[in-house]
Amino acid sequence: MGSKPFEYTPQAADVFTREVMARSGQNIVACYQCKRCASGCPVAEETDMVTPNRLVRMVVLGDIESALTNKLTWKCLFCHTCGTRCPNNIKTGRIADTLKKMALDAGIDPQQPEYKNFHRAFFNYSLRWGRINEIGMMGEFQLRNMWDHLRRGNFVAIISEVASKSTLAWEMFKQKRLHLSFHSSKGRDEISRLYKKSAGRKWI
Amino acid sequence: MDLAYYPGCSLYQSAMLYNHQTRLIFARLGLHLHEIDDWSCCGATSAGKINDFMAIALPARNLGIAENSGFSELVIPCAACYSRTVVAQKQLQDFPLLKNEINQELSQKVKDNIRVSSTLDVLQREMGGGRLAAIDLEKLEGFRPACYYGCMHTRFPYDVPVADNVENPRAMEEVLKAIGIKAVDWNYKTLCCGASSVIYNTECALDLMAKIMRDALARDANCLVVTCPMCQMNMESQQEKFCTKHNIKERLPVYFITELIGMAFGFSKKDLQPEDDMFTTGMDWTQLCGDSV
Ligand code: SF4
Ligand code: SF4
Repeated sequence: MGSKPFEYTPQAADVFTREVMARSGQNIVACYQCKRCASGCPVAEETDMVTPNRLVRMVVLGDIESALTNKLTWKCLFCHTCGTRCPNNIKTGRIADTLKKMALDAGIDPQQPEYKNFHRAFFNYSLRWGRINEIGMMGEFQLRNMWDHLRRGNFVAIISEVASKSTLAWEMFKQKRLHLSFHSSKGRDEISRLYKKSAGRKWI
Repeated sequence: MDLAYYPGCSLYQSAMLYNHQTRLIFARLGLHLHEIDDWSCCGATSAGKINDFMAIALPARNLGIAENSGFSELVIPCAACYSRTVVAQKQLQDFPLLKNEINQELSQKVKDNIRVSSTLDVLQREMGGGRLAAIDLEKLEGFRPACYYGCMHTRFPYDVPVADNVENPRAMEEVLKAIGIKAVDWNYKTLCCGASSVIYNTECALDLMAKIMRDALARDANCLVVTCPMCQMNMESQQEKFCTKHNIKERLPVYFITELIGMAFGFSKKDLQPEDDMFTTGMDWTQLCGDSV
């Protein structure tokens, strides 16, 4: 792909930029393309030249498709190196996070299929029990992955999934890091009321 | 000195050791930790990936509990829980309407009168002067640690005050110096280890960890010292993998900072790493049948 020029679509740019700004809380129009963010980004080598500054530019120009499907949006680690270095205090990590959410809202599959399943499993587990039990949470994550593979009829993936995750579990087991104790919080009612309140809110 | 304490989920499970060691050394320093009642998960990074409101509401519940228990400071050892909680606290200050909405559902309301500190903040502040003078320090020989801070000690997804130098933090080095250990100077103390992306973007995370490891070795470090359970777990449990992938022969132990401090305070290995309770299950099966959300 390399660095193809972005599409500028004025109407789309207006609406899209406003939504990204509201959801990410970042004043991205202040970006003057100095690229300080680019030099520190730890994944920039693997994103087909999409550095944080270019991600900002894509959004401002309203190239929605590129913004939602480029590699930085999906590979960003949320490490905030870009944000601490930006002279205009733009946290591109939060923009990438917002774009991931917008992509998922738009029905675009995540570039790492397990991204969505992992965070979903973690979040749901914390809502359900009030605390994370690692084995239970990873179990839910696993089931979500399996379900995805099943829907796609991908049985080879199921086998390699089981193999790789059991290696991880075995490593943790050997290092005495796997615990079978169960803990939870009684505050689950409060948490569930808060969750109901959050329904339909796209930003805080 | 009495402090409220939020251990967080991982310190109850994979990072149990960190919980244990933090309690040991805080007690030795005369700092009394009071675990807050019925705390719940802070949502870690995952909540914010899905639901921005809950990413604030989950830590808000814990803040409310801590504040209403009457303490003036809340200590959080896990870097991820700490980051989530300070960020939520600042957002609750900046958005009063949001705070009201969240408070309506909380039995213990957020009042916003508690100071949130990481374990490292407290250690750095308290390990000078009188508290250390009262302890016989063992001389620890042969440690050349590289202090690895990762992302969450100095970089946050929202503007909160940061005590340490963002690019070159020194808090761990200072704490180690107080117990007579000189840490090596190196480049990658704040590079991201990939955190949970090791699960869904494995190769990328392994490459990052190898970079961290290489630089630590190049500076002749013989161990890594961390304060974040995620960094600890990644750098330890993935070490064989990323070293093999990148042809690195050496291996390094990855200590929580509490382990070195504990050794200097004269605790034995058995005190610091008690035989594990891996298969003791505190599981109450009735809870599994309870209502869920
Ligand atoms: S550092 Fe900030 S202003 Fe400079 S290019 Fe990056 S986002 Fe734009
Ligand atoms: S937060 Fe994302 S975009 Fe910013 S430096 Fe880290 S990985 Fe790169």
